[in-house]
Amino acid sequence: MENITDKLDMSNTKVYHSSLGIQIRDMTISFSTPAGTYVAVKNINLNIKKGEIVSIIGHSGCGKSTILNAIAGMVKPSKGEVIVNYKTISAPGPDRGIVFQNYSLLPWLTVQQNIYEAVDSVFVSKSKSEKNEIVNYYLNKVGLFTHKNKLPQQISGGMKQRTAIARAFSINPNILLLDEPFGALDALTKSSLHEELIQLWASDENKKTILMVTHDIEEAIYLSDKIVVLTNGRAASIGDIIEVTIPRPREKKSFVASPEYKAIRDKLLYLLMDAYAAA
Amino acid sequence: MKTMILKKFIPGITVTGSDVSQEASGTTAALLRKIWNQLQPVLLAFVGIGMFLLLWEGISVFLKREMPGPAATLSVLYDMLANPFYDYGPNDKGIGLQLWYSMVRVATGFGLATIVAIPVGMLLGASKLFYKMFDPIVQILKPVSPLAWFPIGLVAFQNSAAATTFIIFVTSLWPTLINTAVGVASIPDDFKNVSKAFGFSKTKYVMKVMIPYALPHIITGLRLSIGVAWLVIVAGEMLSGGTGIGFFVWDSWNALSLEKVISAIIIIGVVGLILDRFFLSLGKLVTYK
Repeated sequence: MENITDKLDMSNTKVYHSSLGIQIRDMTISFSTPAGTYVAVKNINLNIKKGEIVSIIGHSGCGKSTILNAIAGMVKPSKGEVIVNYKTISAPGPDRGIVFQNYSLLPWLTVQQNIYEAVDSVFVSKSKSEKNEIVNYYLNKVGLFTHKNKLPQQISGGMKQRTAIARAFSINPNILLLDEPFGALDALTKSSLHEELIQLWASDENKKTILMVTHDIEEAIYLSDKIVVLTNGRAASIGDIIEVTIPRPREKKSFVASPEYKAIRDKLLYLLMDAYAAA
Repeated sequence: MKTMILKKFIPGITVTGSDVSQEASGTTAALLRKIWNQLQPVLLAFVGIGMFLLLWEGISVFLKREMPGPAATLSVLYDMLANPFYDYGPNDKGIGLQLWYSMVRVATGFGLATIVAIPVGMLLGASKLFYKMFDPIVQILKPVSPLAWFPIGLVAFQNSAAATTFIIFVTSLWPTLINTAVGVASIPDDFKNVSKAFGFSKTKYVMKVMIPYALPHIITGLRLSIGVAWLVIVAGEMLSGGTGIGFFVWDSWNALSLEKVISAIIIIGVVGLILDRFFLSLGKLVTYK
């Protein structure tokens, strides 16, 4: 099992390497609740290289999304920090595009307008036609050009998530954060969206760093270079980091049949079902 | 079968079960049934009105015609509506003219109140600080009968017509303000997060998130406001005198023409209904799923 590395200990590293996409250093996040302080995640250390696709996997409520939100700048760490592009994250910014769990499209705007408003906010100095060009480019990329004048309520869940993905890509962020993006979709739609996501990533010379939160093992293996397994929360921490060295492009059917895939899946199953089993 | 019985007894009920869609396949029976379904609520409404007129006539007879019956009243109403815009001096104006005075007052007071209430409501809904500061004042002033403001209006404007407009303004303020605040305060975190994540400017957030989300709430507030304003204008004009539908009611009572009073009641009701339906359909227009 040479694909599977041991837990990486980076608590002492203080490298600000140029190829570093995201660096999380000794991060603890706790929330104050009426019942007292709730520690969601504890002592998280993680290095994600530029252009890597990394999945965070773990049980429901173990703090996966909390880590993602900290990178997004929506949640402030109680201790430690997240460093992106040499800077400590303190607020959301256009260098990080987010695809939310429940699509989060504005229901009174059309597909086109939903993407346009994001582009309009980020590329302030561009002209209207330039912005429209960007919107149309990504509408075409996700195959929604003919549906661009529909409202979110008029399209399927898969199309909504395509819109959300197009919106996140359209602002050309260095980092893409995906919060259980395909959780609500049926298996077939999910599968084709996986391919589309990889294509979008590849069409940009694999330059974007993608961090995805998921609880779907197959999805995590198929998409990722690295899978971060969280221990069961509260106060969850990183239990294991599994490298997926299967080369790209990955063809789904043969990929799923490969022994490497099976080995990683078994390891993940063991970790999630036994080692960090839900209480 | 069950739905047939249901429809017989509950006017206007729409049955969306399979029995309707299957039978509406173009046969004569289906067509007749469709017509019946359309016609039935109208017929039932007429039955209801007929029963009401009968009751009214009964009460009128019982009161030995101290109160006019439907026939006498409707003939006066007909005369009023036949020539609505005559003007024979301060105490004798057509009903259309009186209605117009009232509507102008309501439109002015309601319009000014809307201009104030929507921004203030948005501020209160968006900022916890402002909400905590000003909500107690709103809560205290809201239950006060607008007529209590009449003397303040008189002092402020030295003019009873302007004072009437002023109480309409005060009346229309609260429902719009409170509904706007509630609408803005209930914007889901999802939408706030979108605007944060993509760096929406303040203006963009207000125009593309806050207003569209709160709009159905705002329209509901406007609908409540115009409803209360229309209630209050009658009382206000009874106090202020001079012109308007409220003055007309009071003046008719002084002239002992109960036919005119009842006719005015009917007209006030119809206008109120139209105003309400207007805002109701406006609300439906801006409601998204």
